[in-house]
Amino acid sequence: MRLTVNGKEHEVDVEDDMPLLWVLRDELGLTGTKYGCGIAQCGACTVHMDGFAVRSCQVPAASADGTEVVTIEGLGTPETLHAVQEAWVEHQVAQCGYCQSGQIMQAASLLSLNAEPTDDDIDVAMSGNLCRCGTYPRIRAAVKTAAQKLQEA
Amino acid sequence: MLRTSVVAFCLLAMPVLAEGENVVIAPPAEGSVSTEDGLQAWARIYEVASHPRCSNCHVGADNRPMWSGPSYGNARPHGMNINAGDSRIGAETILCSTCHVERDGLNDVPHAAPQVAMAWQLAPVEAEWFGKSSVEICNQLRDPERNGGRDHLDLAIHLDHDLILHWAWNPGGGREPAPYSLQDHVNDVLTWGVAGFPCEGD
Ligand code: FES
Ligand code: FES
Repeated sequence: MRLTVNGKEHEVDVEDDMPLLWVLRDELGLTGTKYGCGIAQCGACTVHMDGFAVRSCQVPAASADGTEVVTIEGLGTPETLHAVQEAWVEHQVAQCGYCQSGQIMQAASLLSLNAEPTDDDIDVAMSGNLCRCGTYPRIRAAVKTAAQKLQEA
Repeated sequence: MLRTSVVAFCLLAMPVLAEGENVVIAPPAEGSVSTEDGLQAWARIYEVASHPRCSNCHVGADNRPMWSGPSYGNARPHGMNINAGDSRIGAETILCSTCHVERDGLNDVPHAAPQVAMAWQLAPVEAEWFGKSSVEICNQLRDPERNGGRDHLDLAIHLDHDLILHWAWNPGGGREPAPYSLQDHVNDVLTWGVAGFPCEGD
């Protein structure tokens, strides 16, 4: 199977039903994307596939074949952060951090679908991403800041 | 010779016989189904339409899919505060396909996201079935204004093509399938249509 991850092409030899999450972490060594549940219940494994958020634990390798995947490692760089990452730093959202790459990828996807999300929109889009540390109020505030940054940009 | 005429007779007796992609679409001859038999076919159609595998995604204007049925305990809205929006596919906030990814084959893992080789979505809001009575669903399904402008053949073709509907009979993950089979359901829709779409209380 062939897929482009963070702009780089990769050829990987895996079973058709291997979850994309394992391809990313074990085959390509991109460990920024986290494993929480493996059954679409937590959001820790969220990445973008052809521009949309997906739970990578739910994507069989065969479905990812030929797609463009972006992980937290490719969303921004330390020098040029994505607006969502910038807002996350400003609001000091992360606590333990385990859920945060998934949160950030989901928030970036929300803002690409909906440039001015209401509180309700944010709650609908982000409720599938669990945070054991309860950083939810900071997540909501940071999504709003990121939306502003993207509009001003 | 005898065999040939038997075959010829059968062909004449069957007005339309279409080999669908997944089912046979063979309606009974026009005028051959009584209202009573039509109502019996409807009763089976309602068992399917009101089954959780179908009704959970045939929800109303709040656009919230449901979790109900034997494998879910008490009926409740889809976890994670999911709302598919007016788009019915989540385009306003979070796409259904975030978890219900398109795949060939079945996601058979219990409690994981059902998946088919199509974009997962809610049924149109006009086709609200969850919690609705047999008469209400019957009247909706025969109304071209609310059934996508379909007659019974179109409904059968829709059932033949829509892979999300096929999933209802093969849901995997320990979920209870819809009753009867896809082919039985198509046959019942055709029988009901040929009977003139009778509903209780007509
Ligand atoms: S690990 Fe994928 S949703 Fe939890
Ligand atoms: S920051 Fe710890 S789980 Fe979210």
